[in-house]
Formats: sequence, structure tokens, C-alpha cells
Amino acid sequence: MSPDSIVSELGRQGILTPEQQSVITTAERQKPVSLHGELRSLLYLGITALSAGLGLLIYDNFEQIGHLSLLGGMAVGCGACLLYAWLHRPAWSTGPVSERSAFTDYALLLFCLLFLTLEGYAQYQYTVFGTRYGLATLLPALLFLPLAYRFDHRGVLGMALAALVSWVGVTVRPLQLYLKTNFFAQSIVLSSIALALVLIGGALLLERRAVKPHFTYTYLTIAGNLLLIALLGGLFNFTEQRLLYALALGVGCVAFDLYARRERRISAGRAGGSFLFLLMSAVYGYIGLTYLFFTYLHPTRWGDGVYYWYFILTGIGLVYYLMSQLPRGNRTTA
Amino acid sequence: MRAYNQTWIHNRAIVRQAVSWQRQGLLSPAQLTAVEAAYPVGFRQTNGFVEVGLFLFTTIVILAVYLLLLPLSSQLEDDRVAYGLINAGFGLGTGLVGNWLIRRRLLYRNGIDNAFVVLATGFLAFGVNQFIPEQVSLSTHCLLTLPLLLLAFWYYGDTLIAFLTVSVFYAMLFDWLIRFSWGRDALPFVLMGVSTGLYSLSRRPGRLFRDTPYYADGINLVQWFTLIVLLLCSNYYVVEELNGILADSARALNEVPGQGEPIQAPSTLGLPALFWLLTVVLPLILLWQGVVRRDRMFLILGMLGVIGTVATLHHYLHWVPGNVALTIGGALLTGLAVIGIRYLRINRSGFTDTPDDDTPASLLDNAAVVAAMQASASASTPHRPGMRFGDGSFGGGGSGDSY
Repeated sequence: MSPDSIVSELGRQGILTPEQQSVITTAERQKPVSLHGELRSLLYLGITALSAGLGLLIYDNFEQIGHLSLLGGMAVGCGACLLYAWLHRPAWSTGPVSERSAFTDYALLLFCLLFLTLEGYAQYQYTVFGTRYGLATLLPALLFLPLAYRFDHRGVLGMALAALVSWVGVTVRPLQLYLKTNFFAQSIVLSSIALALVLIGGALLLERRAVKPHFTYTYLTIAGNLLLIALLGGLFNFTEQRLLYALALGVGCVAFDLYARRERRISAGRAGGSFLFLLMSAVYGYIGLTYLFFTYLHPTRWGDGVYYWYFILTGIGLVYYLMSQLPRGNRTTA
Repeated sequence: MRAYNQTWIHNRAIVRQAVSWQRQGLLSPAQLTAVEAAYPVGFRQTNGFVEVGLFLFTTIVILAVYLLLLPLSSQLEDDRVAYGLINAGFGLGTGLVGNWLIRRRLLYRNGIDNAFVVLATGFLAFGVNQFIPEQVSLSTHCLLTLPLLLLAFWYYGDTLIAFLTVSVFYAMLFDWLIRFSWGRDALPFVLMGVSTGLYSLSRRPGRLFRDTPYYADGINLVQWFTLIVLLLCSNYYVVEELNGILADSARALNEVPGQGEPIQAPSTLGLPALFWLLTVVLPLILLWQGVVRRDRMFLILGMLGVIGTVATLHHYLHWVPGNVALTIGGALLTGLAVIGIRYLRINRSGFTDTPDDDTPASLLDNAAVVAAMQASASASTPHRPGMRFGDGSFGGGGSGDSY
């Protein structure tokens, strides 16, 4: 429906006065098209291509350029980005910062990407970290985390958390739905769970202190997925501790469910996003439950196709449950 | 007679516009309340994340019911007509249950109804196709499925159905054309012409789909789809690669004995100059029209098209090595975006950098986090032969794989 037809419709209903109708029609005609999202997507694309291109360029040409000048050049680029970002830093606030320059955010992002390239190159060429690989992945996390807080930058926070997650042995590339890890090793499962719990605990504590409460969502999304995936990994792979993992998964899912309910109760603004945690607990919980059901009850032996009833009944149950969690009432009252 | 309450969808469009006007200060809160009272929307509340879960679990239930019922008719499975009847019947039944739920539970794009709509249409189409003799070609199958899909789109106005409909339409055209020598030569031209035609048709949907709020999203999808096909079919690289694939398939077919006359593959690209011209000019036209008409879709596709043009030129001309091209391209895009953001600080020629109602703010935030994580993974992993993470050896056991 065009805005013009809505104006005339509301005019006919007597809701809009004739003057208002002409005001709105003029406003609609003069309203500029916002290219906010498009320009930022372009910037992101450019920065990602730039850092990827630079990375390739360096590895293809370091023999001609010389290692030290290359390292020097990258360090200068890195420093310049950080300096620019620092000089145009937003005012410090424990809440979300609204007064900010768009370029600061992207200079900081470029700094982080260049830093990762620089660090990777230094390790590749000079093995500055020796065999302490853990340190090499921990260092960016330790650097990015304070920067994310100081600059109120959720993208950098995401990078810091990704570095932390890879520190315990899990690589994440969300766009390829890519997750590389080894959950056959109990140590990786346990350290993933520990890291996730620390991150979640830290985020909730900081939120209680009113320090960047809007970061909690990013924390819980990344750490929550890590926690529940690690628990599922443990459930699948370690027969002896399986029931323990199952119990922990159950507790984790209930906790996320309760958290989502609490979010909806106390904050209307965060109600929409809170449903992600409901979805996470439903899906991960369902996978775990189904695995246990088929592993221990052997429903395939009960007769032809009897186990389809499991999917039908649990599916209907979950649909009912998810529906019951939606706010009451029709869409107008929202 | 449609699946969803048309009045509510109409009202929903009005209320959304009124909310936007109220936010801009053009309506008083009292007026917004009056609009909401005069234009009630009776659909149940929904939420994007819950929709994903509801779609998933509803699909599980429907498929489990199907698998449960199928063995009851296993003796009929050899008979295509009976098998078709069972599937079409199951599709119809699914549609009826879906309709009952839509009415009773006041659903609209809620995940549950989407699953019912897609699966009902899918089973129905699958069943109907069983009635067609086995030998007929893919394009005939597509041709006979199209009316059903169009009917489903008319009835539901569902975006996924719109996607299926155009996909099946293009598949039909493609499969039909590549069976003739002239068709293989004309393929890009026909696809370009048809895309342009479909796009103009979607700008002025006929009587059947005129109820705009009901079909708005589906028609919008058709516009994106057709313009993307248009850009692809006019790109030199795409057309040449496609010719290569067609030539390979023709060669493979000719090697099968008992074939009639040999199939002629399009040997080289006909009219290369024309395709070079289109590769360069078409994205620029889209960009220019996007600016003139202030059309977001044209602008985005024009910009992506220009990037595609540069990539195509780079592929054939090799002015600079790939890594240099990526660096320069990245710098150029960054520069363009920086200039754009600076230039549009104030409103100019109908454009602005200030976010408005159409800017998906929360989506942008989440996308930024995802993109940053992605970029950091790409920046740190591919060239680190001397570096391993944390506890080292990756056994490669994914999480859900064993299940």
C-alpha cells in the first residue's frame, strides 16, 4: 500500500485532518531515503576485503619486501588505525554510547584485523610465541576485550570472544556455519564448558553492576552456544559420564529458558531478543533428549514405525510450549 | 477467499505506517490509538526466533505423520497413480489441517503456518507429478507444477511459495531451451528478456494479485530474483562459464549410444562484444536508475553489479595480481563508503545517512558481530602453518555429526 493511499484512507475515516493530510503527503514526498545500512555494509565489505588482500599480499611477497620492513609497515598501519580511533574515541560511559563517529568503529575494526595478521605473521616468521600457542590466541582476546569496553564496540567484543573460544580449542566461522573442534577430547569439552560458564557469570555480574549491560546479549549468545554445544559433545562422546552431561544439559536448558522469561518480564526492549535463548534451549535440549531416547530405550525394536510417535508427540509438545511463551493478545496491542 | 484474513493484513499495513508517522511526529499518540482501534489486527503475536523453532518442530511433526502413514499403503507403492493419490491426498490433508490451525489459532507467518503451507504444497505437487508418465522431461514437470504453485501463491501469498514458483519457472525455461541448438545460443537472451518481462509484470501485478499488502513480500522477492537473474545472464563471465557447462553436458550426451542427431554445443560465446557491453553498462544503468528513482533495490543491485563487473574485468584482463586487486578493491570500497557517509551527513538529493524505520538496526548490530568474528577467523587462520590453537590437534569431530 502506498503512503498516499493510506493518507486518503485515514482522511476518509476522519482520523487525519485535511491539513495533516497535506503535511504528511509533503513529508512523505520529501522524505530522504536512508542509506545507513547500505553504506555500513559497504564499509564492512571494504575493510574485510582490504585486510584479506593485505594478508595475502604479505604472504606472497615477503621475500621481496623483507621481513622487517613488512612487520614495520604493518605495525605502522596498526598503530595509525588505533591512533585514529583513540583520538576520536567516544566519551566513556558504562551504558551504550550514542554519540560516536562511524569511522572510529571501523578504524578500530581494521586495527583488530591488522593486528591478527601482524601477530600471525610474527609467529609464522619469528615464532615469537615459541610453542606457547595458547598465548598467541589469548593475546588478541586480552587486547580486544578492554578495547571493546572502552569503545563500546560489539563487533570487537565478538572478536575477543571468538579468540577466547579458539583459545580453548574451538574455531568458529559463523557465516560458513563452521565449527572446528575436537569434542572427543574430554579436556576440550571441559575447558569449553568452564570458559562458557566464566563468560556467562562475568557478563551477568557486570550487568548487575550496570557496566555495558547491552553486551550481555553478545556474551550469552556466543558463550551459551559454546556451552550447550560442548555439553552435547560430551553427551555424545563420553559414555561413562553421559548421564552427568545429560543432567548438565538439562540444567543449562532450563537456566536459559528461565533467563529468557526473566528478560521478558523485566524489560520490554529486550523481550524480542530473549526468544533466542528460548530457541537455543528448545533446540539443544531436543537434540539431547532425542539422542538419549534412541540410545537407551531402543524404540526401533518396538515395532515398525512406532518411534515416529516420539517425533509427533514431542514435536507437538514443543510447538505448544513455544506458542505458550509468546506474548498474549493480537499484534495491534503490541 | 484466501487463507489469511485479508482485512487484518490490510489493517496491519496501515497501522505500521501510522506507527512510523507517529515516530516522526506527524501523528499524535491519540491519533495512533484511534488508528489502532479503527484498524484491528487479530493475528497472534510472533517473534523471529520463535518462528524458526515453530517451523522446525512443525516440520518434524508433519514428516513423522507422513512416515507413519506411508507403510499403511506400502502395497500400493508400485502403482504410480495410487502413490500420487496418497501424496496429493496427504498434501491436501496437511493443507486442511493448516487452514484449521490458521483460523483457530489466528496464525500469520508464525512458523507453524509456514511449515504447513510449504509442506502441503510440496506433497501436493509431488503427488500430482506422479500422475505424469515417467518419460516426460523436467520442463514438462515444471510446466504442469506451475499452475499449482501459482494457485498456492494466490491463496497463501507466502514468500517461500513465491520463491519456489519463480525457481520452477526458470528451471522449466532452462531445461526446455537447452534441448535445442538455437535454444542454447539464445539462452542468455531469453533469460534476460523473460526476467525483464517478469520484473515489469511484478511492478504492475494484475487483477489476481492486486491486493498489495497480501502479496507485497512475495512480489518483492520476485523483483529481487528477476533482477539478479538479469544481472547474472548479462555478465560475460557467467555466460561463458554456462556455455562451458552446456558444452560439457552436450559432449557427455553425445557419447551415450542410441542418441538421435548429435547435440550441438554452443562452441564459443556468440556476440562477445554485446556481452562485454552489457556486463559494463547494465549495473551502471541500475545504479543510475536507483539514484534517479531513489530505489533501494536498484541501488543495492547496481552496486553489487558494479563489483561483479570489476571482478569480471579482473578475471579476464589481469591488470594486477589477485591479492593486489583485493587490496585495491577493498581500499576503494572503504573509500567509497567513507565518502558516502561524509557526503550524506546532511540530506542531499533525497538521500541521507541517518537511520530510519527501514534500517534494520538490531539486524545490523548482530550482522556486525557475526561479520567481525568471521573476518577475524579468516584473518588469523589461513596462513598460519606454524601456529596451532590451544590444545592443538583437531580431530574434526563436529558436534551434531554422530547423531
